[in-house]
Amino acid sequence: MSQKAAKIETSFAGRHPWLWATAFAAALCAIAYCEHRGVLGGWRSLPFVAAAALLLIPLTKATNNRQAAAGALSPATRRYNRRMLIWSVGYVLCLGTAMTVHNYLDPQGALLWGISVLPSVPMVYFVWTLARYVIEEEDEYLRHRQTSAALIGLALVLLVGTLWGFLETFGVAPHVPAWWVVPVWAIGLGLGQTIMASAERRADRP
Amino acid sequence: MKNRLKVLRAERDWSQQDLAERLQVSRQSVNAIETGKYDPSLPLAFRIADLFGLPIENIFIRND
Repeated sequence: MSQKAAKIETSFAGRHPWLWATAFAAALCAIAYCEHRGVLGGWRSLPFVAAAALLLIPLTKATNNRQAAAGALSPATRRYNRRMLIWSVGYVLCLGTAMTVHNYLDPQGALLWGISVLPSVPMVYFVWTLARYVIEEEDEYLRHRQTSAALIGLALVLLVGTLWGFLETFGVAPHVPAWWVVPVWAIGLGLGQTIMASAERRADRP
Repeated sequence: MKNRLKVLRAERDWSQQDLAERLQVSRQSVNAIETGKYDPSLPLAFRIADLFGLPIENIFIRND
C-alpha cells in the first residue's frame, strides 16, 4: 500500500461511522430542501442522490474499521457490511428512479405498478442479507449481539407502529406511509447496538 | 455465571486477542465471557476447557 493510500485508510479509520451517517442524512435533507424550493427535482436530483449514496462507501469502511478496532469484525460481519452497502445504494437508486418516473412521466397501468414495486425489490436482498448473516456467523457472541439488536429494532417497529396506528384510527395523528417501518427498524437496530456497547463498557470497568 | 477465564489467561500471559485466536472467536467474545456478560454455549465451553486442560466446572462457577 502506498503512503498516500495508507494515509487515506488511516483517515477513514479515525472517523466515527456516525459522522458519515450524519453526512449522508444531511445530504438527503439538503436535496429534499432544494426540491422543495424548486432548485432541484426529477431527473436533476438523480446525480445528487447518486453522489449522496457514495457517502455510504466511507460509512461502511469506517464501520469495518471501528468493528476491527473493537475486536468484533468477523468474516461474516465484513460480508454483512458489504451486502448492506449494496442494498443501501440499490434502495436509494431504485427509490430515486421510481420517484423521478412518477413525477415526470405520469405513468399509468403496468408502468405505475412497476415503479411502485421497484423500491421494494432491494428489500428482498435486505432480508436475504439478514438471514445469511445469522447462517454464516460462526462467532456465537457476535451473532447473539446482532440478533438482539435486530429484536430491539423489531420491538421499536411494533411499539411505534401500533401507537401510531391507533393515533391515526382515532384521528389525532396524520397518516404515515407504511414504508417507514424500515427506517424505524434501522433506528432501533442502532439503538440496540448502542445499548449493548454501553453495557459492554460498563461490564469491562474494574 | 462467574468464571476464572481472566485468571487462567493471565497465568499464561495471554492477551484477550491471543485467547480469541486460540479459540477462533472474536476478541469481543472473549471480553464478554470474561466479564460475565455472556455465558458461552456448551460446545464453546468445552473448547475453552480443552484449551486450558481443565474440567468445565473448574473454569465456570455456579452462582448458587
